[in-house]
Amino acid sequence: MSLLERNRHAPGAWRGTLPITSRYTAGLGGERFFRAIKDEGRILGARCEPCGVTYVPGRVFCERCLGELTDWVDVGTRGEVAAFTVLYEAVDGAPLETPELVAFVRIGDGGLMHRLGEVAPEAIAIGMTVEAVFKPKAQREGTILDILYFRPVG
Amino acid sequence: MTSKNREFPGTPLSEKDFEQGKILFLHDEMNGQYAWDTGIGIGRYLAALKEGYLLGSHCRRCRKTVIPPRTVCEQCFRPMDAFVPLQDTGTVNTYSLCYVTWDVQRITEPEIPAVIEIDGASPLCGIMHKLGEVEPDAIHIGMRVQAVWKPPEEREGAITDIRYFKPIKEKGR
Repeated sequence: MSLLERNRHAPGAWRGTLPITSRYTAGLGGERFFRAIKDEGRILGARCEPCGVTYVPGRVFCERCLGELTDWVDVGTRGEVAAFTVLYEAVDGAPLETPELVAFVRIGDGGLMHRLGEVAPEAIAIGMTVEAVFKPKAQREGTILDILYFRPVG
Repeated sequence: MTSKNREFPGTPLSEKDFEQGKILFLHDEMNGQYAWDTGIGIGRYLAALKEGYLLGSHCRRCRKTVIPPRTVCEQCFRPMDAFVPLQDTGTVNTYSLCYVTWDVQRITEPEIPAVIEIDGASPLCGIMHKLGEVEPDAIHIGMRVQAVWKPPEEREGAITDIRYFKPIKEKGR
């Protein structure tokens, strides 16, 4: 057996799992935004009057003038579909039986990336008005998934 | 400039804030699976461990034997000439008493990692392993040690097929 030949009975690869855990905190602005979703079922933005911009989700400073934002406003639970995509694969690459609908829903001068529901892929249109469907209050955990999906209005 | 600052702005959080639900957070566990190709040398080394012996490789030109085995001599950059089985005995080159685990938990009985020069390999050529069946006070550099193997049915082709190295009782002294 040559020196540069693999031993076929030898382990070809060493396999293992790295224990990777993370803890994400939403920060000052995020905390306020997600608390409002969890406790009140409301979506909050932050208004910068000098710039004339309503940030959604709300944040603690204006990214245009860098001023502090203290004017938090309820922006309602409706928005319009600015872009969407139809997913036929799950994150692990497995085929999805029911395609998942993901959209950017414009609210104020910002918006949320979220799922669309109660709608067929063919029926979605850019500019369509949609509203947030929340989980029952008792099940909310203070994450973006406290909103189940956005559905067409009317 | 920052040296004049006594306090830096920020929002300190304590473990209690998380425990008492004062703060919203997400816990995530990422998929950290990996497969590391053992290559020719280490593949054979692991196969040898499973069979219960230590394997090195030899360069004829440098007259050097290294462990774990390499396929290329790191001294002359030529291909090595042969794989050679070595003894499972050796000499403590250096060691440490370790009172923390890999994930930083305190332990009262120290782990004793050591570099052991393996008999049959060139001087200063050895492997890192643990020492066992020995009082920390009794360890010294130059101490003779021998591998304590797992039984064959438990061996899986890993460096942990050797449980640890224990002192060799020196006869007649």
